[in-house]
Amino acid sequence: MKRTIPLLIVIILGFLFVAYVFIPHKVSADFYDWYMKWIKVIGPFAVVLGVGSLIMVHTSKIKRKAPNWGYSMVTIVALVITTLTGFIWGIQEGTPFMWIFKNFNVPMGATMFSLLAFYIASAAYKAFRARSVEATVLLIAAIIVMLGRVSIGQAITHWIPDATEWILNVPNLAAKRGIGLGVGLGMTATSLKIILGIERSYLGGGK
Amino acid sequence: MRFSESLQKLDRRYIYIVVALAVIIPLIFPLGLKTYTTTPVEDLYRHIDAIAGRDDKAILIDFYHDPSVMPELYPMEIALIRHCFIRKIKLFTISFWPTGAPIIEMALSEVKEDFPDIKANVDYCNFGFKPNALTIPIILGMGDDIAKAVETNSEGSKLEDLPIMKNIKNYDNIQIVMQISGSTSGYLWYTYARPRFGVDVGVGVTAVMAADTYPFLQTGQLLGSMGGLKGAAEYEKLVDIFAMKGLDYSKKKARDIAWGSKQYSLSNIPYKYKKARIGMDAQAVVHVLIILFIVIGNIGYFLDKRAEKRKYVK
Amino acid sequence: MTEIIGIWIAAFLTLCMFSFLYKDNPFYKFAEHLFVGCSMGYAIPLTWYNAFIPYAYNPLFLKKEYILIIPFIIGMMYWLRFSGKFSWVSRYPIAFSMGIVGMGVPMSMHANVLVQMRSMMLPLNNINTILIFIGTVSILCYFFFSKAHTGAYGKFTSIGIWFMMVGFGASFGYTVMARISLLIGRIEFLLEEWLHLL
Repeated sequence: MKRTIPLLIVIILGFLFVAYVFIPHKVSADFYDWYMKWIKVIGPFAVVLGVGSLIMVHTSKIKRKAPNWGYSMVTIVALVITTLTGFIWGIQEGTPFMWIFKNFNVPMGATMFSLLAFYIASAAYKAFRARSVEATVLLIAAIIVMLGRVSIGQAITHWIPDATEWILNVPNLAAKRGIGLGVGLGMTATSLKIILGIERSYLGGGK
Repeated sequence: MRFSESLQKLDRRYIYIVVALAVIIPLIFPLGLKTYTTTPVEDLYRHIDAIAGRDDKAILIDFYHDPSVMPELYPMEIALIRHCFIRKIKLFTISFWPTGAPIIEMALSEVKEDFPDIKANVDYCNFGFKPNALTIPIILGMGDDIAKAVETNSEGSKLEDLPIMKNIKNYDNIQIVMQISGSTSGYLWYTYARPRFGVDVGVGVTAVMAADTYPFLQTGQLLGSMGGLKGAAEYEKLVDIFAMKGLDYSKKKARDIAWGSKQYSLSNIPYKYKKARIGMDAQAVVHVLIILFIVIGNIGYFLDKRAEKRKYVK
Repeated sequence: MTEIIGIWIAAFLTLCMFSFLYKDNPFYKFAEHLFVGCSMGYAIPLTWYNAFIPYAYNPLFLKKEYILIIPFIIGMMYWLRFSGKFSWVSRYPIAFSMGIVGMGVPMSMHANVLVQMRSMMLPLNNINTILIFIGTVSILCYFFFSKAHTGAYGKFTSIGIWFMMVGFGASFGYTVMARISLLIGRIEFLLEEWLHLL
């Protein structure tokens, strides 16, 4: 009841979907329509997983008065205010919901990732070393691509953007394809493990 | 402290200051460098432009990212929407990320203010946010019937009642699905929609992922791609060269104008439509700076190594 | 007025985030936690208006398709994820959603393996096609660990390493480009929208 039936649901649905791909029959089309209708009703409820776990983590910090619990308060208040503005004034352009998005979410999200520009510059200076022949090859390829993707490369000589295109279309393509084939097989194997009931971590811990 | 050693132990905060200046200075004093167009971006432009003015074809843009990668991807979205509005190309937008949906609203309203004749649900339609759990069902469902799979637009109106849906049924009426993404380069679309329904897929991705798209470009699973700010700058330029002048795309002309002449004049173009191209000046300066960092860092490393070796021999 | 206030708030929060470059500090921590809360706050109203109402509420309560009460109840089982005793009930909606993975077996195999392999089987009629072929095969051999990488086989797999290094170099070059682009975007905001210097 706790584990076996959910596993059976995955196995049965999994095999039915494999069959659906190969069998263009009315029965399989009906099965597909039925599933789509039901999953669209079930799907929206999943939002509770992300929101719920965030609330749990931060409320427990506040309750325990854990170090820096005040910041958890900031998270909860921000979550509540954003949600309320959406419900009270709607979610269209021009509403307070969008105002919060533009002036809070966009600058913070984009700036957080832009910090990486400084770290990558620092890493280029302090860690990117030609310690071996392979590392030197990597370094040269990186430099050519860096120059070839901006117009300074073309200004120096047209060979640089041409070399960049060649690197991307030939050795890079071969490398990404070789790795990608392994990844593709791995993904297929993982999907198979799920529908065969071997991979069960998505069900969570416990009995 | 030896020179080589001091080179190695330079405080990282000096590096940060130099990087910040290398971005700020070219933004304030632009260098006016050219933007060269490349085949993957030209292919996208050509394919989208081919349905200009048609009532039975549309493009779908999937905003598959959050604000964290907006500086790279937002100019692409603005350029794509602008292209559609200028050339009367029917446009659909969708997002499977909660924080992607407001980006659609922002982008549409930013471009729409320059196109008073363009009407929501007639010339374009925003499907809005659909939960991530429904990504595959909706992608597959649209192959049979878009109105049935998506059901409502962002305002809650039934799709089947909207004028834009006239002559639009399924992927047969979608010229290309463009996924603008910071995490996957069109994976779900070329895995589920393309093999089953034959729809063309294109991507606009962050530069981090740009190199990964090449195997899929070669096989045709991806029709074209825009990689990072450079891709956005190229698309911006193609819109200015062709769409703004009401011209049909021609590769020769694209190359002649984009590659041959001096920087296409940006003076009369609103800031929001040339943001990527302005940014590319700073990009070029910082790339050279990073290369210098790598070279100086390695000089310090080899000098240090040689000094260590000498000390050991003594 | 609200627009100007908004730009000043956005500029303040941008600087709060940048302050981390000096060292971790309360301004950064405040902005970081605010960001997490705001981001998650979007999910609830958006899901409500764009998914729950059209997909669950309208068909069940307005169109009176009562059979949908079953998936409605299955969906509500997600809520029990956080109850200690009945958290196992939430496995039912998860299992129902995972079923579609079955479709991924043939389709992922097709898109990521078969189509890629097919393009490897093109006639080897020019140097680039030959190089792509050698590169891909040598990389696949490199990741095949059931045979020792020695002798001629070892030499062949080392070709794979060289191809990978060029590929990683290209990715690194592009990564630098990506990170710098993000920084340019933020500095453009500060200079143009906040300080009006551009």
